Amino acid sequence: MEALVTVENLVKTYGAGANEVQALCGVSMEVRAGEVLVMMGPSGSGKTTLISILGGILTATSGSVKIDGREIVGLPEKHLPALRKELFGFIFQGFNLFPALTAVENVSIMCQLKGVRNPRQRAAELLESVGLQEKLKSYPADLSGGQKQRVAIARALAGEPRIILADEPTAALDSVSGRTVLEIMSGLAREKNRAVVIVTHDPRVLDYCDRIVHIEDGRVGREEVHNQREKVA
Amino acid sequence: MNILAWKNLLHDRVRLVVTLTGIVFALVLIAVQFGMFLGFLDTSANIVEHNAAELWISAPGIPHVNGGSPIAEAKRWKAMQVEGVEKAVSFTLFFLNWKLPNGAFESCQIAGFDLDSGLGAPWNVVAGSVEDLRGEDTVFVDELYKKKLGVSKVGDTLELNGKRARVVGFTRGIRSFTTAPYVFTSFKNAQTYMRLREDETIFILVKTKPGADVAAVKAGLQATVAGVEVFTHQEMLERTQAYWVFGTGAGTTTLMGAVLGLLVGIVVVAQTIYAATIDHLKEFGTLKAMGATNGQIYRVIILQAVLAAVMGYGLGITIALFVVNSTSDTDLLIKLPAEAAMGIFGLTLFMCMSASLLSIRKATTIDPAMVFRG
Ligand SMILES: Nc1ncnc2c1ncn2[C@@H]1O[C@H](COP(=O)(O)OP(=O)(O)OP(=O)(O)O)[C@@H](O)[C@H]1O
Ligand SMILES: [Mg+2]
Repeated sequence: MEALVTVENLVKTYGAGANEVQALCGVSMEVRAGEVLVMMGPSGSGKTTLISILGGILTATSGSVKIDGREIVGLPEKHLPALRKELFGFIFQGFNLFPALTAVENVSIMCQLKGVRNPRQRAAELLESVGLQEKLKSYPADLSGGQKQRVAIARALAGEPRIILADEPTAALDSVSGRTVLEIMSGLAREKNRAVVIVTHDPRVLDYCDRIVHIEDGRVGREEVHNQREKVA
Repeated sequence: MNILAWKNLLHDRVRLVVTLTGIVFALVLIAVQFGMFLGFLDTSANIVEHNAAELWISAPGIPHVNGGSPIAEAKRWKAMQVEGVEKAVSFTLFFLNWKLPNGAFESCQIAGFDLDSGLGAPWNVVAGSVEDLRGEDTVFVDELYKKKLGVSKVGDTLELNGKRARVVGFTRGIRSFTTAPYVFTSFKNAQTYMRLREDETIFILVKTKPGADVAAVKAGLQATVAGVEVFTHQEMLERTQAYWVFGTGAGTTTLMGAVLGLLVGIVVVAQTIYAATIDHLKEFGTLKAMGATNGQIYRVIILQAVLAAVMGYGLGITIALFVVNSTSDTDLLIKLPAEAAMGIFGLTLFMCMSASLLSIRKATTIDPAMVFRG
């Protein structure tokens, strides 16, 4: 499998002087197209920091992150929004849906932002693909946690990004809806040769992933190959 | 993205009501105070404004049109010799006592004009004919002051400075800036009521020949007629407005009221839009994480402000017009011409946009990395 993201010797230091925190101390890894990669590790080990840098929403202190061969470390800040718009879909633990917008509006606003044609129609299709065709006009407040996360997944898919980054996507969900969400997410990787990166503590995720990277104290520890793809096939 | 601005605004009903109340309150305050100011400008010098004379001759140094003192009427003949003068007629304006039916006194201002030229005649006549003022003891009063002057219909008689006065007609909407209403009569009658000497007047009004250079005529009059001051129509108008509207503090007070309204509006709107922005920080952060630029976020915030402005204006101007209309038959004139209403719309937009500046500053500082933290 080709490497979509290559990380080399990545360092991130928060603060300075006495408040200095070394969150990442030389991380090297890669993310491949078509795989579901899970990052696990104790609290404070640097998972969120790592995924934020991968997604171009946090700048690294040093090292290299190449996405599709393009170096993003050291890129001027003003180039980052366009990069994020083009390459990534994000999924959050807290869903981060706009409460004032209906499900379909939440998705279509992102389609619009990403310059998708017929954003409203595309949004409806995306919601249908996560099984929410009945809930287009519902407001987030009227949806269950699992349904909200599915709206968030549909939103992350706006503009067909090559890489989906999810931080604890199931932490706020019960076990049934957690499984549904994970199933949908692992499907995403297979269907369009996307890379799906999931940060989690959730052991259920192991049934749906191809590879696990353990992060400990800002370093890559063990790496396990699960090869879910072969199991399914 | 426009939908986000619109729905964010409508989503929190309580906040929307607070925002709109702030805008409406500010707007009504601005409209009414500024309208009163315009009304003052209008009312204070209406007697000059509706007078067709191009030049006013008076005793030297009079402070305003209501503050004249007697001059010799014979100066009229001198004035008529000046090049470019077509007519020079007498006109009086003077405070007198008006005796009410119950024996109490009210103050009024007697406007005595030349019936043949009509310079200084009442306007908006709604009952009777100006020609009726040729009779002795005849006066016109304004409908707005019927109660104040104790008259109700044509034919009522009262006492004006100790002499009989018969109401032969009414005007509508000739307001007085002071508490003394205008009472119109012929110059001859006014002389009698005021107990002026036969050869005295307060003003000599000059109508120039068609095409004459008013400034040259003024200079000619000033050189020819001794012991007087000559004012153009505009000079008399401005002198009178300046005295009543600014000299008394009425103008400053109303303008200050309007400025205060603007400040209150900016603060209230700024506060609610800022609070709304703070509430939506996570959403704006999410938009940024997903690739929205700062400019796109500003657009949402500014659009919220503009939508609030448009809604607030619609409500506020309706209430303001209602207030303005309800004063149309009182002695306090509040004017809200279309230009002022449009100006207030501009001001409302300005108010709401400047109120959103604080929020825009806040939005620039949003760190998209916040979205991954709890
Ligand atoms: N903005 C920040 N400023 C200073 N230190 C930070 C900041 N964000 C994270 N850190 C520190 O960096 C380290 C790694 O944090 P990070 O959030 O990446 O951990 P994590 O693996 O995601 O933990 P968790 O499982 O609890 O979410 C921690 O020591 C944390 O305290
Ligand atoms: Mg974390």
